[in-house]
Parts: sequence; structure tokens; C-alpha cells
Amino acid sequence: MTPSQGEMREIYPAEGEVYRYRAEEKETHFTFELEGEVPAGLKTATSLSIESRNSGEGLCRTESGRTHPFAWAWVGQELHLWLDGCLFVFQRAETRRRGNAPATEVSGDVLATMPGAVLEVLVVEGDRVERGQTIVVMESMKMEIAISASRSGVVRRVSVHPGQQVDRGMRLLELAPEEDPLE
Amino acid sequence: MFSKVLVANRGEIAVRINQTLLAMGISPVAVYSDPDAGAPHVQTAEESAALPGRTAEETYLSIPKIVQAARNSGADSIHPGYGFLSENPAFARACAEAGITFIGPSADSMEALGDKLRSKEIALGAGVSVVPSSPECLPGDAAAVEFAERWGFPLLVKAAAGGGGRGMRLVNQRSELDGEMESASRESQAAFGDGRVFLEQFIPNPRHVEVQVLADESGHTIHLGERECSIQRRHQKIIEETPSPALTPDLRRGMRDAAIAVARAARYANAGTVEFLLDPRSGDFYFLEMNARLQVEHPVTEAVLGLDMVEWQVRIARGEPLTLRQDDIQPRGHAIECRIYAEDPYRDFLPSTGTLLRWRPPSGPGLRLDSGVAQDQEVSIYYDPMLAKLIAWAPRRDLSLRRMEVALSQFQVLGVVTNIPLLQAVLRDPQFRMGDYDTGFLERDPPVTRPAIPGESRTMARALAAWASRQPVAPASPAAEGDNRVGASPWNSVGERRLP
Repeated sequence: MTPSQGEMREIYPAEGEVYRYRAEEKETHFTFELEGEVPAGLKTATSLSIESRNSGEGLCRTESGRTHPFAWAWVGQELHLWLDGCLFVFQRAETRRRGNAPATEVSGDVLATMPGAVLEVLVVEGDRVERGQTIVVMESMKMEIAISASRSGVVRRVSVHPGQQVDRGMRLLELAPEEDPLE
Repeated sequence: MFSKVLVANRGEIAVRINQTLLAMGISPVAVYSDPDAGAPHVQTAEESAALPGRTAEETYLSIPKIVQAARNSGADSIHPGYGFLSENPAFARACAEAGITFIGPSADSMEALGDKLRSKEIALGAGVSVVPSSPECLPGDAAAVEFAERWGFPLLVKAAAGGGGRGMRLVNQRSELDGEMESASRESQAAFGDGRVFLEQFIPNPRHVEVQVLADESGHTIHLGERECSIQRRHQKIIEETPSPALTPDLRRGMRDAAIAVARAARYANAGTVEFLLDPRSGDFYFLEMNARLQVEHPVTEAVLGLDMVEWQVRIARGEPLTLRQDDIQPRGHAIECRIYAEDPYRDFLPSTGTLLRWRPPSGPGLRLDSGVAQDQEVSIYYDPMLAKLIAWAPRRDLSLRRMEVALSQFQVLGVVTNIPLLQAVLRDPQFRMGDYDTGFLERDPPVTRPAIPGESRTMARALAAWASRQPVAPASPAAEGDNRVGASPWNSVGERRLP
């Protein structure tokens, strides 16, 4: 196979910037090279020998001969990768460009960070909130979790009510930037 | 003799109890909520009964539904496991009224010990020191204000019916007190159906050491050694070990004697655990509470003693004498347990849900896995996020820690986020390795809760991600863009997806 280029982004455990790489696959041999500035601690290039008999799992061997089992699965748009006891989650860069912009920053939506039940909504429409202020209390897996505003603003719309079950990523309420006049 | 025992629980503990019952020739009956249909605790039982509903309140906390299930199945006895109804005297009484034996202590001793305030009186009566606390109080009560003024801040809000860190809050200043009392009360109401709270003096960074006791109906009481449980997040244990690296022989003897004194004063029968706070600076220890049930961390005790505590619970409940004498209890080696939670150590321990796309636990010499989940199972929002417990035993502490470290690095999980990287970071920590740690360990600066991943692994992960993204199972086509819920598995719907 000829060398190819790609763009990816790590979103777990650290949420990182998009990075570009070049990769080349010859039978089981896979060479990988990061382009541009490489974060501290990471190697620019690596060369691995990869075997995978079953879909979703494989064994890779480094140049020093050390073997590492690994496993992967797609969860929606996210590539989940298990290696050395750790979970990494990646996205293809183009996925992100095509998809919705991060809602919390652009539109002012405050989203549920996990599925659960809404216990309390501590603000009403028109309230002015400060960054870091607790605005909704949720319960998930028997724990109370406070959801706070990621920035200051005015509550434009409350989308949930106490007792309501919400999925991860669902909008709890919408914040308007302070300078925006309310509609 | 019991021929059939209903296990009123779910997850790993229900599986573990099923295994002992089967080995004793007793038939286990499982109960299950709607989301738990087909779960491992149902598969490992011989019979099962549905508890219609999803939430804990509708199912595993419903006394009428569980008693009815026991009656319908013809079970002569109920094992409650831990959590849920395990320390609920009303449940024990409902069992008795239905002619079903409750495997655990009597409703009366459960009632006395389950109330943290009454249990402190029992300990004081037995000559054991306790941490100073207020009477039961409501936000704004004179008793609360008085206690806060006398002992100052920080202080702890605790639920009288609490356990496992639920309904417990650390309060740093006066202005937070009422809000934290309300929140603790609400959490306790939801978890235990009892919203009473009280205040307790806060001892900074104590160690948490507990002693396992076993007693029969005739009052014959022995201890099974101690467990060190100081590695905690949000006041909930995540790593436990035995023997405790903190105890000198004198301290160990004193704590064991105190535990037996408390159990005797409470006229306790069956397996129970006496928890102590140990001030590592002064060497003083204080009675905290006695848990009238099997503990999550009981396997470390089983590992060093080579006995089955659930078997003894069953035998004592059916009236057999405890034939073990104190001299028979000779611990061998060292054991450590790590609790595997579906939660994100990098994001304030947020619970994680989804489908377990991959679940490959390690195995090997000296390892034990108590698991309540299986591959492809859904981890839901409804119950506790603990998936499994991994236990390692070896003749020496350094060797069992090493076994655990290797096993964690081999534990393959995909689909939900787990706390395994945090457990690994604790095991690598030099102070933990020396046994020098307390309950403030995870909040120390810099926090161990942000485990760094070696650069070599990170580079390899990027390379493997690039490689895997070229393999013939593609992510959703642009049309399915909105479907980015964790748990939406492409394996289940691969036919609808476009391959490159």
C-alpha cells in the first residue's frame, strides 16, 4: 500500500488538537509518522508489526521486539482503543469538521455530562449566572452531580424539569452571553 | 436445612453468593429488574424471578416484591448481599413474618447498629473510644449550630442510616452547612429511605482500618483479622488490603479486642465488620460504625484465611455453631483488592454508561475476579457503577501488589470508561508501595487522580488508531452523524453502515 495521510484527534484521556500523520502499511508492517510539532514526551515516528486475526483485537510488536495486545471498537463516531491497561478515544478530524460544533461553547447550551435524572434546576429563565455557578443538580448511579455554568451569561431557556430522565449530551438549558439582549 | 435461598441483590455480590450456595448444594434463586434480565447473577442462579421496574426503589429495594418472589419460588431463606436491603431491619422483620430466614444478624441488632448514633453508644458502653458527634439534627437546628461552634470547621455531615459514603459531606465553612445537610439528607433518603443526618468532628487524613468478626447465635465471637481501606474517592473505598501496613502488633491486638467487645455488646450474630478511624500520628483509634452485613472487600480476608465467609453466614443463620476457634484464624500472606468502577478518573469520577463492547478480565496464579458483568452487557444509569473486584494474593505484600499491577495492565475493557488507570497509578505510587498512606491519599497535591500515561504508549496508541481506522469496519456514514451516543455500537448495526 502506498503511504497515506490522515488527520485525527485524541479526545480521551486528554482532549487534544487535531494532528496530521503519514502512515504506510506493507503486509503486517506499519510505519507511522507524526507531522508538525510533536507534543512533549511523544515520539515522532514509530514502526510496528501488527497482527490481527479477529476483528477488534490484535497484537503489535515494537522494533525492540516487545509485544503489546490491543483492542478497538467504534462507538458511534469515536474509535475506542485499549492498550497497556489504558483506554484512548480518537476521532477522525473530518468527523469533527462535518459534525456539530461543540455546543457548550458556540451556542451556549449547557449539556448533560452523563445520563441520569434531573433533581433540581436552580435557575429560571432570565436569571444572570456566573461562570462556575451550580445551575442544575442531577442524579446518576445514586450520586448527586452538580452541573455548573462554563461561562457567565443569562438563562435564555430551561429545557428540563426536576424528575426528568436525560441522556448524555442532552440540552439542560441555554445560556445567552451577557451582552446579548434577550429575545 | 436450607434447600433454596433467594439472593436479594444483583451484580458481582449476587454472583459470588450464588457460587457458594451451589457449592453447598443449595439452590440459588435470583431476582432481577428489567435492565438486568439475563445478567450474570441471573445466569448463575438455578431459578429467577422478575422484579418489574427499572430503578432500585422499584426493584431491589422493594420489600413486598422481594418477599413475594421468595414465597412464589418456595425459598426458605434470603441472603441480602450488601447495599440495597442488607441492613434494613424492616426487611429482616418482613422475612421473619413470611416464615423466611434472613441470612444476617437479627433485626434488633441491625436496627441498633444501623443507626450510627445508637451504635456509638454501644461502643462507648463497651469501653471503646468514638469520634465526637452531634445528636440527629435538621439544617438550622440549635444542636447543629452548637456542635459546629464547639468543634469548628471542617466537619462532617453524616446520614444516620448511611453507609458506603452515601449521604456524607465534608463541610469547610458555616455558609455551606445548611446546603450540605440538605443534600446529604436527600441523598440518604434516596439511597436508604431515611433522611436523618448528624454532624461529626472531622479528623484530618485518618486511616480507615476495619476488623471482620464472626459470631454465632450462642455468642461465640471471633475476629478474622483486619482490612486496611484508606484508599478512597468521595469517601468510598476503591482499594483494600490485609494485613494493614499501619498496625503494630500492639495496635492490632487493641483493635481486634475492641471489635470483639463491640460485637458482644451488640449481641451480634453472623458476619459483621467493625470500622475504626486510626490517627496515624497519635496511634489512637476510634470506633466509626459496625456494618451488619457482608462487606464489599471481604474477599481479601478470605484470601489470607482460605475460608468462605458466605458459607459461614449461611451455616450460622441456620443455627449451626461456629466451630472455628480464635486460634484457628492464622492469616497467610497478603491480599489486595481493587474495585473496578465504570467511572472517569480524569473527569471527577463521573459515572460512565454504555455497552461493554469488550470485557476480558485477567486470570492467573493468586488472582480472583468477582464480576457482575459480561461482554455486550449494558451498563445502565440505574445502579452502582462498580463492575467487578479484582483480588490478588501472594506470600508477601510487594509480591501481591506486583501481581495486581500486572493483572490491571491486562484487564481489557471497551465501551465504558473505567477507573483502571487510577488503580494503576496508585499501585505505582512510591508512598503507597511503602504502605504509607491515609484517606487523603487521592486528594494529595499533585493528585494521583490524573495518572500520566507514558509517552511510548501514547505514540503507539496514535499509531494503532491510525491503523485501526483503516480496517474494514467504518464509523457511521455522515447521514448518521447525530448518533454519537456512547453505547451506540457499530457491531450491532454494521449492515447499515457504509464500508470504505
